[in-house]
Amino acid sequence: MVVYSTTVTAVGELVKDFRDQGILVFFSENAPLELHEFSVLHKVEVSERAPIPGDVILINDDEFKVLAVGSVVSDNLLNLGHLDLKANGLTEAELPGDTNVEAKSLPLIQVGDKIQITKN
Amino acid sequence: MGNYKKVIIEAGKGGWGGPLEVLPTDKKKYIYSVTGGGIHPVAQAIADATGGEPFDGFKSSKPFDEIAVAVIDCGGTARVGVYPMKKVLTVDIHATSPAGPLAMFITKDLFVSGVKPENIRPA
Repeated sequence: MVVYSTTVTAVGELVKDFRDQGILVFFSENAPLELHEFSVLHKVEVSERAPIPGDVILINDDEFKVLAVGSVVSDNLLNLGHLDLKANGLTEAELPGDTNVEAKSLPLIQVGDKIQITKN
Repeated sequence: MGNYKKVIIEAGKGGWGGPLEVLPTDKKKYIYSVTGGGIHPVAQAIADATGGEPFDGFKSSKPFDEIAVAVIDCGGTARVGVYPMKKVLTVDIHATSPAGPLAMFITKDLFVSGVKPENIRPA
């Protein structure tokens, strides 16, 4: 069941560099300009709740199991459409804004891509 | 023309960096809140104490050289480095330390974290 669903509307120039380090930074479209460079901007369709461990984050058809979620992730995502996604396999969030998923290669994000958070 | 006052902002419990001295001027007067849900109480407290103008960064943007201080609620990766990178004084309400891809820009003379309204005092 989908608890969060959104569509990518812009991809900053530095997103590829961040992705190469296993990080994707998301913000809603109204984020200040200075954040656009390294962010995936998106337009939210469903915003029921933030991820919790055990959920799956879908980037188009790629699945990433959520392993750990920091203490401010929910506020960030529900208020600002902001998510720091880290594909590093950690089972405890290092930083309060981190959402940690399986350590596998993150896709190259493009405009129109669909990002979803699903629960079992 | 504003009548501005200087404040000192110290790190709160578990926080890092600072203390920062913030003194707005007519050319650099914005207390720039890049937080969820409008002007954050910490940004409002800094604005009240300094005479600076609170501004919601999620409504529209201001040039970096007009920002007296940026107030963020960053969990440690992105916003935490963006404003220090541009040499803008930065207050994180969360108790973060330098980390993330922009960690190298986060220095004690530009950044202070874990800040609550009681960590702001007149200079």
